[in-house]
Order: sequence, then C-alpha cells, then structure tokens
Amino acid sequence: MASVSWRHALFFLLVVNLSVLTTACSSHYGNAIEEFCLAKFKLDMEVLDQRQWCSWEDTVESYGELTNCTFLVALKMNCFWPNRMVDEFFIRVHRHYFHDCSMSGRLLHDPPNQILGPFIVVPILVTLLMTALVVWRSKRSEGII
Amino acid sequence: MAIVGHALSIVSLLISLAIFFYFRSLSCQRITLHKNLFCSYVLNSAFTLVNLITVVNNPKVVQRNPIGCKVLHFFHMYMLGCNYFWMLCEGIYLHTLIVVAVFAEEQHLHWYYLLGWGFPLVPASIHAVARKKYFDDNCWMSVETHLLYVVHGPIMAALLVNLFFLLNIVRVLVTKLRDTHRAESNMYMKAVRATLILVPLLGIQFVIFPWRPENRLAGEIYDYIMHILMHYQGLLVATIFCFFNGEVQGALKRQWMQYKAQWGQRRREHCSMRSTSYTATSITEVPAFMYHHDCNSEHLNGKQTEDSELVALKTGETYA
Repeated sequence: MASVSWRHALFFLLVVNLSVLTTACSSHYGNAIEEFCLAKFKLDMEVLDQRQWCSWEDTVESYGELTNCTFLVALKMNCFWPNRMVDEFFIRVHRHYFHDCSMSGRLLHDPPNQILGPFIVVPILVTLLMTALVVWRSKRSEGII
Repeated sequence: MAIVGHALSIVSLLISLAIFFYFRSLSCQRITLHKNLFCSYVLNSAFTLVNLITVVNNPKVVQRNPIGCKVLHFFHMYMLGCNYFWMLCEGIYLHTLIVVAVFAEEQHLHWYYLLGWGFPLVPASIHAVARKKYFDDNCWMSVETHLLYVVHGPIMAALLVNLFFLLNIVRVLVTKLRDTHRAESNMYMKAVRATLILVPLLGIQFVIFPWRPENRLAGEIYDYIMHILMHYQGLLVATIFCFFNGEVQGALKRQWMQYKAQWGQRRREHCSMRSTSYTATSITEVPAFMYHHDCNSEHLNGKQTEDSELVALKTGETYA
C-alpha cells in the first residue's frame, strides 16, 4: 500500500511537473528561442559582410526565418505569440545587429540639398546660356539694319 | 483618359503635318518651325502612350524592372524637353523677325534646330544620371522626387524666357511700330497672338500643379482642367497653329473648290497669284521685299488687292 501511494505520488508529481512544463510560458521559452532560433540567425548573419547587415534585401530571409522560428516554438510550448519575451528577444537582436542602420535608410530618398541644388541649377543656367547664344547667333546672321 | 487625349493629339497633329507638307505654297520659315514643333509633339505623345500602355498599367513589368523601361523614360523626358524648346524656338524666331531686325533676310535655321532637337538631351541625360545614382526606383516611375526638377526646371525657364520675348514683341509692336507701320504691326500682332495664347496655356500646368483646391467640386474641376492641359496639348497646338490659321483655311477652301469644279476653270497656282498681287498692290508704305519672307504678309497683301479670288481669303482672321 505504501509503495502504491509512493508511486502515485511520484506519478502525480511527474504529471504536475509536465503540466507546468507544457502550460508555463516562463523563461523556458526564452531559453528555447535563444537556443534554437538565434543560433541559426547568428550563422546566417555571420555569412554576410557586416556592411550588409543594414541591407534589407540581404537580411530579409534570415529575419523572416527567425520570426517564424519563434512563432513555432511558441506554438509548441503553448505560449501566446507575440509575447513580452519575444519582444525583448527581438530588441536584443536589433540592438546587436541593426543598431547603426539609418532610420530612413531603406526608403528611397532624395540626395541632400548640397547635391540636389547643383543638379537643378546647372541645367537651368545652361538653358539660359544656350538661349542667349541662339538669339545672338540669329542676330548676327542677319546683319541688323 | 490620358490615352484618348494623346491619341487625339497625334491624329490632329498628323493631319496638320499632312496639310503643311501637301500645300507647298504655304511653306516658309515659320511653317518649317511649326512642322518641327508638330513632329516633336507627335513623338512626345507617342512615347507617352507607349509608356502608359506598357509600363504604367503593367505592374508586372514594373516589378521586373527591365532596363528598357528606364530607357523609355529617358526618351520621354527628352521629348518633353523638345516640345517646350521648340515653342521657345518659335518665340525666338518671332522676336528676331520683329524686334531685332525688322527688315530681315531669311534667317539661318541651324541654331534653331540645335536648340530644339539637340539641347534637350542635356537635361534628360543629367536627370538619367542623377536618378540612377540617387533615386533608382523601379522604372523611374516615382514622381515624389525633387530630381524631376532637373528636367522641369529648364522647361520652366524656357517658358519664362519665351513669355518675356513675346511680351517684348508686343511692347515693340504697340509702341514703336504703331505710328509708322500700322498695317503690318496689326498683322504681326495677329501672328504673335497665337503664340502668346499658347505659351501660358502650356506653362500654367507647372505653376498651378502644386495647388489643388481642397473643395471637392473645385478639386474635380481642377483635375479636369489639368488633364486637358496636360494631355490634349498636341490638339491645342495643332488647332491654334494650323486649323485656325487663315492661310491654311484659305488653301483648304481653294483645294476644295478645285475638287468641286473638277475639270472646270483651272486656278492659277498660289505662287504666281502672289507674284501678281505684289505688283498689283496699292500699299506704298512698306517695301515689297519684306513680304517675301513672312507668311502672313502674303495674306495681308491678298486682302488689299482687288483680285476676285483673293477676296475669298478675306474670310477668317489670321491667327498664326
């Protein structure tokens, strides 16, 4: 009788532990994504040159895989996705890999005014010059009376 | 809708070109400039149509981003420049004819050809280089960039210079020539009037473009007007410079009467008719040789004679 109750207690403890494991979304989740997902992402990013880290075309695939991976682990562990741990995880990733990318660097934008200015003013001046030249030449070819 | 506008423009311009090429009697230097202007309008409308049909309405092509669509855009910008620079050539020609050297021999048109066909390559190439380096979006379709001013800036400068020239001509005609040469200052005024109407019409789209009214009704009216100004330009130009031209109308009427009469009385050629009218004219104020080199002068001459056929030319004003 004592061994049966002992076994029951052990079994009960195991079940409780397991249920804790399957329903809890505690630091286990954080560790899991660090272990499974971040490792692959690190490998992918190391393949790229550091200058390419800010280039969306080159990083979009691995970033997408990282996101997917965190989602799948969350499904497996019965966590709600997204959650605070995944947010903090991504903040750490961004801080490490994308901290010096410019805010609008991925959008197409005009060059700074120092470059844009001459690009606009020079053709206008050349136009005026050319017009003056044509007027002067057509004047000359007549011989004004 | 833009497609309709440009298609109509091409049709009317081709008709005008056919008229100018068929009636040899009409040709003179000003008409040569008109022909070049119309050619540039036809090509511009053609490129716009091709651009609209193959690139703008076709997101797959834009996504693929072939080099061909950027080349097309480059030629489109070049043709746009050609349009406005040929208008400028017309203005410079009139200015040289009237203000600078009133009793002018025939001008050499080489410099006009250079300004009209050659020079617009400069802003178009600079735009292409700048766009490639700094704003290389798919097919260069975006209009959100200030780099477009690389092309539009010189165009606006050309329009402003043109306007200045034309106003100067009007000033000279009104003040200096009025007392001494009343007859032909009126005639020149009519010649200038067409160009003076067209230049602001062509240019106003650049001025009022940024200011779309907030009011819904006014906004729609604005959209329609801008649409007409931008896409029906060729039609406007052809109408004002060709279809409203008294000489062209006279030539067409004569041709029509000729066909109607069939085997009937053969009319004298327009040229010989003109030469007889020179001798028959009763104008004494202005030297005759001036009339050799301006198209509208022939019309005026015709008005003054008693020749019965030329009486028919009295109908219709000379617009251009």
